[in-house]
Amino acid sequence: MENKKNGGIRGLIGQRGVGQVLTVLVGLVVLCAVFSFINPNFFGVRNVGNLLRQIAPYIIVGIGQGYVLITGNIDLSIGSVLGMSCMMSATLMCFGVNPLFAIAITLASSLVVGILNGELVARCKLPPFIATLGTMTICRGLAQLVNNNRNTDSIEKQLGEAAKVFRVFFYQGFIRIGELKIYNTFVIAIAVWLVFNFILSKTRTGRHVYAVGSNREASHLSGVNVARTIIKAYVISAFCACLVGLIQCATTGTGTMDAGTSYEMYGVAVSVIGGISTLGGTGILAAVLVGSSVWAVLDNGLQLAGSPVALRNIIIGVIVIASVLIDVVRRSGKIRLFRRRAA
Amino acid sequence: MQANEGRFIVELDHVSKSFPGVKALDDVRFRLRAGEVMALLGENGAGKSTLMKILSGVYQKDGGEMKVFGQRVEGMTPKRAQELGIAIIYQELNMCQHLTVAENMFLGREKKRGIVLSQKEMNRRAEEILKKLRIDIDPTAIVGDMQVSKQQMVEIAKALSTNARILIMDEPTSALTAKEIDELFRIIRQLREEGRGIIYISHRLEELQHIVDRVTILRDGQFVTEMNYKDTTMSEIISYMVGREIKEKFPRVTCPKGKKIFEVRNLNAGRMVRNVSFSAYEGEILGFAGLMGAGRTETTRAIFGVDPRESGQIFIDGKEIAIRRPIDAIKHGLSLVPEDRKRDGLCTKLSIRSNIELPNLDIVTGALTVVKNGLVGRMVETAKKNFSIKMPNADVDAGSLSGGNQQKVVVGKWLARTSRVVIFDEPTRGIDVAAKVEIYHLMNRLKQDGISVIFVSSEMPEVLGIADRIIVMCDGRITGELDIKDATQEKILEMATDFESKFVAHA
Repeated sequence: MENKKNGGIRGLIGQRGVGQVLTVLVGLVVLCAVFSFINPNFFGVRNVGNLLRQIAPYIIVGIGQGYVLITGNIDLSIGSVLGMSCMMSATLMCFGVNPLFAIAITLASSLVVGILNGELVARCKLPPFIATLGTMTICRGLAQLVNNNRNTDSIEKQLGEAAKVFRVFFYQGFIRIGELKIYNTFVIAIAVWLVFNFILSKTRTGRHVYAVGSNREASHLSGVNVARTIIKAYVISAFCACLVGLIQCATTGTGTMDAGTSYEMYGVAVSVIGGISTLGGTGILAAVLVGSSVWAVLDNGLQLAGSPVALRNIIIGVIVIASVLIDVVRRSGKIRLFRRRAA
Repeated sequence: MQANEGRFIVELDHVSKSFPGVKALDDVRFRLRAGEVMALLGENGAGKSTLMKILSGVYQKDGGEMKVFGQRVEGMTPKRAQELGIAIIYQELNMCQHLTVAENMFLGREKKRGIVLSQKEMNRRAEEILKKLRIDIDPTAIVGDMQVSKQQMVEIAKALSTNARILIMDEPTSALTAKEIDELFRIIRQLREEGRGIIYISHRLEELQHIVDRVTILRDGQFVTEMNYKDTTMSEIISYMVGREIKEKFPRVTCPKGKKIFEVRNLNAGRMVRNVSFSAYEGEILGFAGLMGAGRTETTRAIFGVDPRESGQIFIDGKEIAIRRPIDAIKHGLSLVPEDRKRDGLCTKLSIRSNIELPNLDIVTGALTVVKNGLVGRMVETAKKNFSIKMPNADVDAGSLSGGNQQKVVVGKWLARTSRVVIFDEPTRGIDVAAKVEIYHLMNRLKQDGISVIFVSSEMPEVLGIADRIIVMCDGRITGELDIKDATQEKILEMATDFESKFVAHA
């Protein structure tokens, strides 16, 4: 047999990109060890609970951006859709709209943005960077427009109890395991991850996502509906952005116009750290789990170690560049040069 | 093999196809029987690829009739072709590099239970097919990790997994070693025995004898002939492929051949340029003929310093020069008018003026590298006059000009400097007849001015019409050199298809 058979872990979570995930996992363990050495509170029950809740938004955003990256595109509008969704749901609830309706309307609007992104990139053939830059600006504008360029009041003012339920569901609630509080936010993130990981690794849609990112033309010639696949990826991304927007609304109990700023970049960062390539076609969704963990651990750990915010950003930035560099170097060794057709 | 026994599974009659400016297929006839290997032969541009793309649904025919397995077919699409059992394996592989063999084989036709992919079943089925063809590849291996030859095997297995009864193979052996070709031919024979029909497109005429039953020959978009392979000879095939009457008159000028200006010795640059050596003289037009993929463009690029080279020496006027980058070539008086003028020859979004200025900045700049617009203006005027460039003014985008005029701008910018050697790569491609003639006159003028002109062309009539001496390349090597008085189309094609035999012949 030419290459070794794949079984075990590879069979479980898909083949491509397992290597990098495991490497990063090791790095993560080392990081945790270092930080808990610096500050023993790190692994304290309270900190872990908070940590997991902090990771959640990154995981969700990473899932959305991850899908789009694997198709070989990018979604710059995630942060703005997040902000728009935060403002929209908060504004609606401040006007007394039932949370369920508010969520439904917000979700619908976000999905429209996702479809728009997909159409612009797949059918109008706009470069993804430009298309989503455009929707990013539009959605940020809508976020400001929704409540007349003001942040909203508390959603509990008009709705009272219903709003409290909303906040508990998305942010404040938790499951107690002994002394540890596992917040709902984290549970939601894991649930979402499980669903989308299943789709990506076990369904035809997921297979097509990889194929389109790996070789668009070959996919097209094989009968894959390339446009539809790309649109699906962008819709998933918009869904994830919307979800985090709702979480954000539940966090503060209000709507903030600049919620979600830079979150699309965080999405790229956590995907890339875990091995999803910006060139498409490769990487598993578990990448997002380890990537978010590294990010949040660094953030939290450095905070506990007393480091200033600026330093955290610099360190995180360096790690992102390092991850992409590793990806590029690895790929260049594997590029097969086909014969060029020329005279 | 009983090739004459099978029924017709493909019948194409009076098929025509035109693209803007060119009639690719004109009243073409094609037949394929079950259980036979049919070679489809013709020069580059004869229409083979277009015909196959029509059969496989990538293009729509303009006129004519298509019958597959005896049924008339209208409105063929790639999906429909697949359903009818037609599979085409392109020369450039169409695999998703990140996916496994099995995943590629079932791309677009994935097997599933509900919404879950039945990966195990697809792997099993893939393994079955690979085993049946006796191809030793693990279905769970990632395609990108495999050699090109193995990837080609996967493409064939993929075609078979769709139960293709009609297989079209375009240059299947180009990337294979002798042993792998053996394997491939064994598979083809097996498929033939199963009653499938195989259309085999190749320029490696020597290989045909080992595998082919019948031959169809196209020339300049028209059907020439169809016959049993064993009823014909290689020279007969070649003369059918090129035996056109050359009706066009080319403006040839004769002038005395001067001294040797330019010499290349033992140039090696990868697979496409192998031990290339030649000389060029003053007052001579040296033509480079050959098929696509022969390595001519790669040779020009290696000479000009565009692509890295492993070894080789270049001499101008007897003195060796070092060329590591294009600027070195330019400084020594070489000019290259590239094959793809829109991509490599011009900056289409810049003005004509900027384009002409660009390689001549050293001439037109003064102190502190400030550009002297007056000098540039004169340069543009000179080019416009010398080459009759039709332009509204010098500030329009170069990309807005017609093909012929664009080509003249490319030539014009180079000839603003004193060149000793001008290399033209497919100079008249995509240009109307009148402009072509002007380019020929241009090359003649350069020749008369004592400049060495080297020109690469895939159009045989043109090479025979204008060149004084012809060098033929095949698969990276020089396979022949002809003086114009001894050159014929047949001789050129023979040399152009003189591939190194990968075989030890056996039945």
